[in-house]
Amino acid sequence: MSYEILKHTADIRLHVTANSYKYLLSEALAGVCNTLKEHVDKSSPEIVRNAIVESADRTALLVDFLNEALALAHINKEVYIGVIFTHFSDTALRAQLTGRGVSGFDRDIKAVTYHEAEVLQNEEGKWEVTLVFDI
Amino acid sequence: MFTKKDLKRISDILWEIPKSYRSDMRVPARLYSSEKMLEDIFRDRSVEQLVNVSTLLGIQKYAIAMPDIHEGYGFPIGGVAAFDVEEGIISPGSVGYDINCGVRLLRSEKSFPEVKPALEALGLSIYQEVPSGVGRSGRLKLKGKDLDSVLMGGAQSVIAMGYGEEEDMTHVESEGWLEHAAPDCVSERAKKRGHDQLGTMGAGNHFVEVGRIERIFDKTTAQALHLFENQVTILIHTGSRGLGHQVATDYITTMMKVMPKYGITLPDRELACAPFRSDEGKNYFSAMAASANFAWANRQLITHEVRHAWNHVFGQTGGTLHVVYDVAHNIAKLEEHEISQEKKNVVVHRKGATRAFPNQPVLIPGSMGTASYVLIGGEKSLEESFGSTCHGAGRRMSRTQARKTIRGSVLKEELKQQGIVINAGSFPSLAEEAPSAYKDVDAVVDVVHQAGIAKKVARLRPIAVIKG
Repeated sequence: MSYEILKHTADIRLHVTANSYKYLLSEALAGVCNTLKEHVDKSSPEIVRNAIVESADRTALLVDFLNEALALAHINKEVYIGVIFTHFSDTALRAQLTGRGVSGFDRDIKAVTYHEAEVLQNEEGKWEVTLVFDI
Repeated sequence: MFTKKDLKRISDILWEIPKSYRSDMRVPARLYSSEKMLEDIFRDRSVEQLVNVSTLLGIQKYAIAMPDIHEGYGFPIGGVAAFDVEEGIISPGSVGYDINCGVRLLRSEKSFPEVKPALEALGLSIYQEVPSGVGRSGRLKLKGKDLDSVLMGGAQSVIAMGYGEEEDMTHVESEGWLEHAAPDCVSERAKKRGHDQLGTMGAGNHFVEVGRIERIFDKTTAQALHLFENQVTILIHTGSRGLGHQVATDYITTMMKVMPKYGITLPDRELACAPFRSDEGKNYFSAMAASANFAWANRQLITHEVRHAWNHVFGQTGGTLHVVYDVAHNIAKLEEHEISQEKKNVVVHRKGATRAFPNQPVLIPGSMGTASYVLIGGEKSLEESFGSTCHGAGRRMSRTQARKTIRGSVLKEELKQQGIVINAGSFPSLAEEAPSAYKDVDAVVDVVHQAGIAKKVARLRPIAVIKG
């Protein structure tokens, strides 16, 4: 697991690290989905959803992608356990999300916010971002 | 990190961060707080967020923080800011994701001793009647024109469907609807996300709380509101659910994309905004109003569900549950205020703050083990805070820390010992909302009372709490 929950007074602050920008999105998605529902019934049928996102920059693409997944999760009552990117650039992506249906969620995430969000590559070459979820 | 040295004392309960503190501030920032409460406030980044608000285009007089201020995202919770309609902005993130999150208070005709023997049954009946938690559907699943009529008509639209009384509408802020709502400005995705959520409470800090009036401070106002000591009341705290969350997400994304066109730069992206008179600004204002109407319809439908639960327990002897008042505490409203001795139209953003026009009832929910308050808007509110006051106790402990340090099962037992019946969806969620995770609501209310922006009318003590 390459994300950790940090202190925030009212909401959830998540710090995510990964070896690549693409992997950063996958890990952040795992952080969102684990917050929504920690244990998913793996015997329920697998579902595939498509997501298309275009944004101004890397940080916005990450946040917009997570909010896309969040909206799909809430509308269809499912959580996503895998993602395959069929197109990927710094400002646009196409993704196939693999998930399973749930009867309810452990927690509500109203949205992934842009507050403090900035995708950076650190001195070790790893990619990182801190995200605040509105709970 | 801020310290007291950065603040100028205006009075014992009002502090100012001068415009000179940071070069990008357009106006000073003002903070209502006792000296003691400042220590709690400085623990997080809320004051820094307040300073960021003071940099927004068209802001008038001050960026204002109420004593329940705590760190949010972009705009602090407990914040108020007013923007010139001609030269200023509107900001979805400064309203928040739960558009028209708010509180409604119902009053019964019964006193506590009459209700006490049936309290367990009442708590359970409300828990069964009002869907709670994340992902649970409500009794109404609306689409197309039916959903649009709710987005246009607010509480009135569900009363027309048979879920309430005409009289209910007269005791709601803005009479339960905003006329500039436009369902066409709400995305299909937002409508899908909210279409089955009318009449549901949700999770987090949302609740239905049965309480008793333990103290009356202002007898005349209490009588006018038909409130009496030991009376049993019911407080409903929820908002626009997934529909409002998606509207906020949609328009923050839109604003992010168009800000370069308007030459807007920000210290925090979450304050994303557009000129109020721009197409994007107008569309958001209309979509926000539609979401606010959805929230008022939601609290109206929950009122119907609570009445059903009440009648189930008390039958014909239960009397009527009347609406005392209903307030929004996450909203942007077009209002006229006096600025530099001239009347001016401004868009007042209240995020975790409540409208408190003189003589208007104000509802302040506290934590589940302490107290909630009925206040009345004070004369000074228009002059000092754009007719606004606080919205609750305000958090002081993070959710993560609360889960780590408080056991939900132990908390439930402790509250039971204090005579408070709990019906909650899960123990971890209950732990997150423990009384110790919140500031002292009495201290918060004392500040706004002393400031004269809202005056104390009654203190309510919880006797049964229903949560997702």
